[in-house]
Amino acid sequence: MNLSDRRRAHLSRSAALTLSAAFMLVPANLLPVLSTQISGQLRTDTIFSGIVALCNQGLWPLGAIVFAASILIPLLKIAGLIVLLVAARHGPAEHPQPLTRLYATLDLIGRWSMLDVFLVAFLAGAVQFGAFATVEPRAGIVAFAAAVVLTMLATRAFNPRLLWIETAPAASSPSPSSR
Amino acid sequence: MAGHESSGIFFFPSPPAGLSFLRAGSSSRTFAAGEKALCLQCDAVLAKHSLLGPDATLALTLSGLILAPPALLLPFITAGKLGRVHSGWLFSGVTALWDEGMPILGVWVLACSLLAPLLLLGTLAGLLLPPRFSRTYSPRPKLTRAAHALEHWAMPEVQVLAVLVALIKLSTLVEVHIGPGFWCYAAMSFVTLLAWRTHALGIVVPNPVIAPTDRTVRP
Repeated sequence: MNLSDRRRAHLSRSAALTLSAAFMLVPANLLPVLSTQISGQLRTDTIFSGIVALCNQGLWPLGAIVFAASILIPLLKIAGLIVLLVAARHGPAEHPQPLTRLYATLDLIGRWSMLDVFLVAFLAGAVQFGAFATVEPRAGIVAFAAAVVLTMLATRAFNPRLLWIETAPAASSPSPSSR
Repeated sequence: MAGHESSGIFFFPSPPAGLSFLRAGSSSRTFAAGEKALCLQCDAVLAKHSLLGPDATLALTLSGLILAPPALLLPFITAGKLGRVHSGWLFSGVTALWDEGMPILGVWVLACSLLAPLLLLGTLAGLLLPPRFSRTYSPRPKLTRAAHALEHWAMPEVQVLAVLVALIKLSTLVEVHIGPGFWCYAAMSFVTLLAWRTHALGIVVPNPVIAPTDRTVRP
């Protein structure tokens, strides 16, 4: 965490990255992320249909994990970033403490969205049985990985100090206080 | 090496505004083992002493580096169906993405699951080994910053969960067994996490000079 950087530009950079991530989520969820061929039967899955298939197989705990990592966390991250960006738009926020906690939470959970990318990559590498069964990655996973990386960069670009301090140089001087 | 268990000094670039536990003009303070400096406003950890001491962190770091080659070379899973046996390595996912015309994604997966954790372990070793064998103090701010940047993109624990999900999904289709490579990788992921969590934040001096204590620093 950077303690002294107060550049306002971070806010617009973070906003741009958040917007790009939100746009990237559209192809990520509409395009297929992998295609499975089992005994000649071809099936392509989007992120959502993959989760439904897991639940239909009776593997609903796995479905819940993938749902949380691939759908819930990206949406929560973008919503959270929008809340932070709106709050920090005009100098210090009214309730900086919960917003800073929100920032820390977003920073913590962001990486788990990469689960689906790793999952598709590993399945594509491990399931190569020629005519019997093959798994191939599809374009949607690239869009999804891009969306995840963009939300992580957007969180990184946002400076939580903007929630606390005046951006003008007349910052409060440190005064000893105990809590 | 004296001072491992007792304390280390943490330097701040300058007393930052809003961090009122730092007295104006002071830029260093001693910490006892396990002690942390939290931001008074947002509870963010600003500096902390190594939880178990730098030797424990160094041991975890070296364990991670030793576990990396077997994690890379041994199979993660072996799957068999109708007499055909196929092994999956950490690398096979990367090569599959590369072959399907997604080279950048393949490189990205490799970076997050292997390169960044390894570089993080290497950076930690670079930070911890010199003070272990010499008493001269030399701060390494660039290396520390590199470690923080690498930690952000190193996500072996996510890869471990992804492999477990893939394993259970595959077990409905074919007969799968976990290979030794996965165990080595999971262990590497775990010690990397522990090494990072027990590592001191801030710059630690091996032979600390005791600075005046400030009671507003919360343990």
